Amino acid sequence: MSEIYEKLSTAILEGDADKTPKLVNRGLKQGLTPKEVLDNGLIVGMDEVGVRFKRGDMFVPEVLMSADAMAAGMLILRPLLVESGAELLGKIVMGTVKGDLHDIGKNLVSMMCEGAGFEIVNLGFNVEPDVFINAIKEHQPAIVGMSAMLTTTMRAMGHTIKAIEEAGLRDTVKVFVGGAPVDKEFADTIGADGYGSNAPGGAELAKQLVGAA
Amino acid sequence: MPADMAEQVTFMDYGLHRVPSKLTWAVQDAIDAVEHPSLIVLGYGLCGNGLKGINARQHTLLIPRTDDCIAILLGSYKKYIQEFDTTPGTYYLTKGWLEAGSNPLQEYEEIKEKYGEKDATWIMDQQYQHYERLVFVTHNQEDLEAYRPQAQEVAEYCQRWGYRYEEVLGSDIYVRRLIEVAMAIDKTDSDFVVIPPNGEVTQDLFMR
Ligand code: B12
Repeated sequence: MSEIYEKLSTAILEGDADKTPKLVNRGLKQGLTPKEVLDNGLIVGMDEVGVRFKRGDMFVPEVLMSADAMAAGMLILRPLLVESGAELLGKIVMGTVKGDLHDIGKNLVSMMCEGAGFEIVNLGFNVEPDVFINAIKEHQPAIVGMSAMLTTTMRAMGHTIKAIEEAGLRDTVKVFVGGAPVDKEFADTIGADGYGSNAPGGAELAKQLVGAA
Repeated sequence: MPADMAEQVTFMDYGLHRVPSKLTWAVQDAIDAVEHPSLIVLGYGLCGNGLKGINARQHTLLIPRTDDCIAILLGSYKKYIQEFDTTPGTYYLTKGWLEAGSNPLQEYEEIKEKYGEKDATWIMDQQYQHYERLVFVTHNQEDLEAYRPQAQEVAEYCQRWGYRYEEVLGSDIYVRRLIEVAMAIDKTDSDFVVIPPNGEVTQDLFMR
């Protein structure tokens, strides 16, 4: 049992998008539930990716390939998770703020939140406050997630929260933020409900925000 | 720059930018290596918090109050913000980055060696496909002309994502002011951050 988990997390770490789906299928055939495959295989691998990148032992190309492998695994698991009636924790509207085109970290967080049981509405990058607001109206998410990778653009997070407030929607959602230049202190200053420093932490935080952790 | 000042310049490895935390340690080490209490000029902006947490020790630090070096090249923080507003999908090229090989073309060559052509192409597309403009910015006309062929080579490569290529003649006013202030610290203004002895660099000093 643990052997397949280890192989899966290794395939994610190595960014092997061919092997990962095969291993996912093998695990399922061995009788593991989709959730077990996800939690003990894919997510364990992605956790380690985050740790190694922070340490400078892994670089952006490898992170991209790991994310791709994870996505390939999710492609099989997603419909099965829905089918198995794994509880849906709610929707998260996620985007990189105005002016900023960095989207790798935001996509990783989205994937981990999806793994944790959320439905993700991914607004992409360079997302204007108005676009966040319209998405809140349309999708009625439990949470709004914002990412910024430039100190130049992290101010836009504050502007976006203000705009959500002015639109009268602030009480309908929780807001969490992240990105390399962002820290807890800054998140507090702009009135966010939470700050996550990495993808697994982000998913954990999202669960807390909806009272599921 | 006066000659006695030029003699005391330490150049740091450009690659440090890819891992801001390594930048912090490297700059701190360089500061710690200065024996006598001095005024140390850091030729960096906040750089993705690369300078955050740095301690002045027995020295005084003088730092341009910008997010990164692009504002320094453009001549002012305001100009940079304007560019962000009008065309966020801009990728900047500078003389320094061309020399250090930090540009999309060079990056492609490097990762092609490591991952092979197919994966390298995919990695590049993942990172760069959403941008629309490549801007080569320099302080002065000579650099613009000297490095234009190199910049244009990069521009040609970036054609694969449909980037348009533009040249911007920035200004060296920011650097000249930095040297001026370094020689007379009381001339400092809101474009600079001064960290007194034992003080620490924090992010909010750069926010405006
Ligand atoms: C890859 C990269 C790029 C790629 C982006 C590719 C893409 N599609 O995203 C390219 C090469 C295109 C690029 C462009 C630029 N970049 Co860049 N880039 C980086 C780099 C090296 C890594 C970022 C990254 O992807 N990390 C990997 C992911 C996994 O980590 P992450 O993003 O931090 O995300 C994690 C956490 O932060 C957190 N998280 C992130 N978002 C969220 C959201 C929520 C809700 C939560 C809970 C958590 C969370 O979880 C994630 C997963 O663990 C950083 C340096 C660095 N090491 O951080 C510079 C860096 C961010 N870039 C920088 C700069 C200057 C630029 C350019 C302006 C450069 C130029 N020449 O024009 C342009 C920006 C243009 C623009 N308008 O956006 C600077 C920023 C300085 C500043 N002003 O603050 C940095 C810090 C490099 C440096 N030291 O100079 N960049």
